[in-house]
Amino acid sequence: MDYQRMIDHMNAVRPVTRRGMLRDGACGFGMMALGSLFNQGRASAANVEFDPANPLATRAPHFEPKAKRVIFLFMHGGPSSIDTFEYKPYLERNDGKPLPIKRPLAFDDEEPGPLMKPLWSFRPGGKSGILVSDLFPNVRDCVDDMCFVHSMVGEGVDHGAALLQTFTGTSTFTRPSLGSWVVYGLGTENQNLPGYITIKPALSHGGAKNWSSAFLPGSFQGTPIGHAGLNVSDVKGEPIEYLANTGLSQEQQRYELDMLRNVNRRHAEMRKFDPRLEARIQSFELAFRMQVKAPEAFEVEKESEATRKLYGLDDPTTADFGWQCLLARRLSERDVRFVQCTHSYKWDQHSDLFNRHNKNAAEVDKPIAGLLKDLKARGMLDETLVIWAGEFGRTPVSQGGDGRDHNPYGYTIWMAGAGVKTGFQYGATDEIGYHAEVNRMHIHDFHATVLHLLGMDHEKLTYRFSGRDFRLTDVAGLVHKDILA
Amino acid sequence: MSIANSQNHSIGIVAGGLLAVFLTALPASAEQGGLEYFEEHVRPLLAARCQVCHNAQLKSGNIDLSGVEGFLRARDEAALISAEEPGSSRLLAIIGYEGRVKMPPSGKLPPEEIAILANWVRQGTPWPGAAQRQAMIPKDELGSFTEGQKSYWAFQPVAEPDLPPVRDHGWAANSIDRFVLAKMEEHGLAPAPPADRLTLLRRATFDLTGVPPTPREANAFLEDESPKAFEAVVERLLASPLYGERWGRHWLDVARYADSTGNDEDHRYPYAWKYRDYVIQAFNDDMPYDRFIREQIAGDLLPAEDSEQLNRRGIVATGFLALGPKAIAQQDKKRMLYDVYDEQIEVVSKSMLGLTIACARCHDHKFDPILTKDYYSLAGIFASTRSFRDPDSHVSRMLLKPLVPQQEFERYEAEQELIQNAQIELDNTADVEIESYIDSIADRVGEYMLAAREVYEDAGEADAIADARNLNRAQLEKWIEYLKPSETPRRQLAEWREAMPVQRAEVASAYQRRFNKTLNIWHHTIRRWRKTAIARLKDGTMPPPPKPRFEPGRDRFFFDVYHAKGAPLRFEGEARDQILKPETLETIARLKTELKDLKGTAMPQPPMANAVEEGEQVDQRIFVRGDYNSEGESAAKVFPAIIAGFDQEPVTSGSGRLELANWIASPTNPLTARVMVNRIWQKHFGEGIVRTPSNFGKLGQPPTHPELLDWLATRFVERGWSVKDMHRRIMLSNAYRMSSVANETATRADPSNQWLSRFNRRRLDIEELRDSMLAIDKSIDFTMGGTLQSGFGTDGENSNARLSIDPASSTRRMVYLPLRRANLPTLLNLFDFGDAVTSLGKRPVTNVAPQALFMMNSEFVSERAANLARQLLEEKGWTDAERLERAHLSVLTEKPDAGDLDQGLSYVGGFRSRFENATPQDAWQSYCRILLASNNFIYVD
Repeated sequence: MDYQRMIDHMNAVRPVTRRGMLRDGACGFGMMALGSLFNQGRASAANVEFDPANPLATRAPHFEPKAKRVIFLFMHGGPSSIDTFEYKPYLERNDGKPLPIKRPLAFDDEEPGPLMKPLWSFRPGGKSGILVSDLFPNVRDCVDDMCFVHSMVGEGVDHGAALLQTFTGTSTFTRPSLGSWVVYGLGTENQNLPGYITIKPALSHGGAKNWSSAFLPGSFQGTPIGHAGLNVSDVKGEPIEYLANTGLSQEQQRYELDMLRNVNRRHAEMRKFDPRLEARIQSFELAFRMQVKAPEAFEVEKESEATRKLYGLDDPTTADFGWQCLLARRLSERDVRFVQCTHSYKWDQHSDLFNRHNKNAAEVDKPIAGLLKDLKARGMLDETLVIWAGEFGRTPVSQGGDGRDHNPYGYTIWMAGAGVKTGFQYGATDEIGYHAEVNRMHIHDFHATVLHLLGMDHEKLTYRFSGRDFRLTDVAGLVHKDILA
Repeated sequence: MSIANSQNHSIGIVAGGLLAVFLTALPASAEQGGLEYFEEHVRPLLAARCQVCHNAQLKSGNIDLSGVEGFLRARDEAALISAEEPGSSRLLAIIGYEGRVKMPPSGKLPPEEIAILANWVRQGTPWPGAAQRQAMIPKDELGSFTEGQKSYWAFQPVAEPDLPPVRDHGWAANSIDRFVLAKMEEHGLAPAPPADRLTLLRRATFDLTGVPPTPREANAFLEDESPKAFEAVVERLLASPLYGERWGRHWLDVARYADSTGNDEDHRYPYAWKYRDYVIQAFNDDMPYDRFIREQIAGDLLPAEDSEQLNRRGIVATGFLALGPKAIAQQDKKRMLYDVYDEQIEVVSKSMLGLTIACARCHDHKFDPILTKDYYSLAGIFASTRSFRDPDSHVSRMLLKPLVPQQEFERYEAEQELIQNAQIELDNTADVEIESYIDSIADRVGEYMLAAREVYEDAGEADAIADARNLNRAQLEKWIEYLKPSETPRRQLAEWREAMPVQRAEVASAYQRRFNKTLNIWHHTIRRWRKTAIARLKDGTMPPPPKPRFEPGRDRFFFDVYHAKGAPLRFEGEARDQILKPETLETIARLKTELKDLKGTAMPQPPMANAVEEGEQVDQRIFVRGDYNSEGESAAKVFPAIIAGFDQEPVTSGSGRLELANWIASPTNPLTARVMVNRIWQKHFGEGIVRTPSNFGKLGQPPTHPELLDWLATRFVERGWSVKDMHRRIMLSNAYRMSSVANETATRADPSNQWLSRFNRRRLDIEELRDSMLAIDKSIDFTMGGTLQSGFGTDGENSNARLSIDPASSTRRMVYLPLRRANLPTLLNLFDFGDAVTSLGKRPVTNVAPQALFMMNSEFVSERAANLARQLLEEKGWTDAERLERAHLSVLTEKPDAGDLDQGLSYVGGFRSRFENATPQDAWQSYCRILLASNNFIYVD
């Protein structure tokens, strides 16, 4: 563990570290001896050493990272790749013709409908001239900063399996989520905020399983800010549970906590050689600071009018997702390691694709473009990795005449920012847009690549549980270096 | 292909010149070294270079290099490797591009990769599991396991060890102490002094009930001077129903209990709570642990103890198998089922055997002698057991088992079918006539459209136009409502909207034509269905098929006009009655009465359980690499060979659950009793004798006191597998009654306290923390059993109903709060509850600032403190010192010393003098919150 670095980030309040305790000298020699062998809650991690008394302390990555943090924009429901970011002229030419291949397992039992052409026009954007459909006119302006992967492959045909795999690598079991692995591997740099925050996450399709730490200690779990069923106005007041004190004035609470510290110190004096006691005393100090400092991060309304407009906060259509994106930027700016925004369960167009995709894209297009432009203008894009993804794409054949079914066999996601190529397209599906064909990137590969960007070797980021060393990528995963800048 | 593109990165191991280093760096002989070399260098290379084609699915050239089975087959059948002369093996010729066959076809491997493979061939192609697998081929040949595996401690029979000699003859109170003291003395340690009485009382009370002693219990214990006072406390606590709630909860952790399926849909398990109540009852009744095991695996197959025809308790107990996480919307149903069997194998093996058998799904266990074949032998047992009523429906239907005799349930189902049929008949009666009516007016769709437009666009007068053209006024209104311009224009009306006045008639008739076409198809479909349904209702052998549903996307205009709510041609209520013939209305009235009568006399739903039952017997095959598409040899229903041997008679009738249960719950099984006594020990001492309570395998930790473990296991079985007997033995030892205060010598010599020279201080878990606070301010509701969950199925995608009940909003004990797996309460996540998905033998204990925020800021804690303060102040005759004493006794089970009194009283006084308008209630509330938030409260000494 990189002590100096860890201590550097502790600022005024020092959570208990072995070195910290030694330096304080308060507890004497016995404490150090004990600390070094303190295995009551010692993580049995195979390669990440962390102190259960301070699990979120910053840890050094395996190698020099390209990205310091991640913003994950999740489009729940499964946006259609072939109507958004991957243009398939074959479908234009063969609209209405039968599917020329045997349809793989789909969500719906019925016979596949005919091929259906993209319902929107594609136009080139930026200097790179990458084609983006009219669903995303604002995002189209940013293509020169983006890196498209047109060859994603997952295994889940239903939402639950697909979400779970997107976030945890497995479509079946309960495993730690991507964000949990990242914070487990790296800790976080701002001890006043959680290391992993998920804004308005979905309750369905696995719910908290998609941001859970599973068998990793609970401190690596995503902290939800409300949930997808709530309005922003419901969430704003107390974004993080128990963060706000409503009963006492700040002076009263300080007075109370000072007394608590005295009570705890007396207790600890009679029970030497137990570093947990001191660690818990420190956790109250940390909590008090967090409570004072954290709310400021959520004060989105303090942003300038121009910024709020950039994210579409002035328009009811874009206000919700705009708030999420702007909050994500504020949290990233404050070194929250992993932030997720969720546009929840709106993209599942088994029917009425045209109207509903229009509506969905209108809600997110401007906020996303605003986020990318804002991050760039603030110089944050260089060290922030932005990821945009649904849990799968949609079929090139129509369902019920005006919809599309689920397609995990070949779909598009994109990334932007730290460490990925810009104005770049990688991989492709086959002619009809059903199966990834060129440079297939399985979700395991995607995870391996994201960890690589953060300076971690996905094969070395392991945790021993139940007799096995678990990895985010299970026994698979290839880093796709061709997309790295 | 991407793999070709990215492989240069994934393999980047060495530059060519390093070949020599490889050859010398290899451990000369060690088998282990060979396997490591394989894992590190060869397996990734095969994965990247060969398995694209030579995998279990494609098997190009009938060669599968993705797993040990395939490799062994290819090695022998395709003569890839020459055992005599490894250097001239065919594999090397192929990758060396020396003969006709050249691999990989895309281009010769770089020299360093060829060197890796050559090296591996020279070592004799070590591959994990190859040795066992070969040994498995002649089945009756013993010696498939290495000596080391066979002599591993956990697989040896439980011994009856002698009590060890000790030097300090005064200390040991019972045999346990002899074992503990011997280890201490061996390591130069001496036991800590006994804990003081209140500390001991608090420890024992939390351990057995999960809540602190009441002030009355504390005083009574202090006053009881009998030498048997503590024994009496233990007996009192063991007899308390709170005991079963506490220890039942420990088992529920191990049984990964929750009240919903989790995963995708998170459907409720409506009767999970009956299993939970069963577990609590079993602990309170001190059910022999071997019976507890048998019932949970095969209770439905055991005779009822109460001479009833049906073993209700046994059926409920199999909830253990039925209540796991399930992906019921998974469309690959075979995969879903095998994931369920896998989960069942895992929970049984981890909880009862302390083994991680599920590792062997894809390959032989890497560390323990568990073979893939062992895994599929068990899979066969669960594959022959039903957990679903209908796994094949789109969202699979779980099995709900009636807790009444079969004939009674059949009667219930027959009555329900009658009701359903009557409902269909009733619906049909009206529908037939309405459909005919719609047929009769269908041709006027175009006319209505034109008329509507004249109203909403040309400002015509609706009723006048309707009357003039002989159109129905009400219907025209609906048409206007539907067609008039709206904020969200409907795409299906685009042509109509854009039609110029001169084109209107033409466009309307185009809509009319399309409407007629879809209508004909739809009415044809619905009439065909009705014919079948009526035939089946008459025939009575099969239930009617489900009524077809019109998929809106098929024809959105038709859907809008015919099906949608408020659609112009949808007739309901009075509008419908006006269309129907009077005699039809009479028939409807009669059918309605009949239906009501049927419902009135039908028996209520019998009690049900989430349980499993015997299914069709499956001839289970080994799935090569866990892939059910590649079936290997048959795996007869036998038990893991390392314990049960190779010479087993396979189970051939029934699922094998009963045999499995008996095999586990046997006194001769080397694991079962050891695992359970270790769990009991762990929950008393904070750590088990084996500190990995669910993993007694190689990656687990060895026992610190192996003789003690065996001694306890022997007593456990001898005393009829009584869990309460174990508690008594453990708690009446002096080892249990030691102080937890460590001295410097002991801390330095044994920092993790593995030799138990002092008691382990432990933090309260979340159930204790929350329940205690409710108990201390007397708000707790000690009602036992039953459920707080209602309903079936799942809820709206982002509905609050998907959340588990917030423990802060209820006063029942936590164990009774239903857990929705997909959305556990944040409070549980905050305090290390675990995920309720995998069997959990030991919860982690973390310390993070948000936990402190809960203590500082939550309304829950605030309210507890306020109630407590109020109760203290209500005692008008008390001095503040007396109040403070009571607060300490209630919250901390301690008598405050002078320093505590001083400090506390000056705080309460100071609070009032410092803050204007602060009432005594405010000051005391603050003080009580301090006590609740203190280390003194959250740690048990």
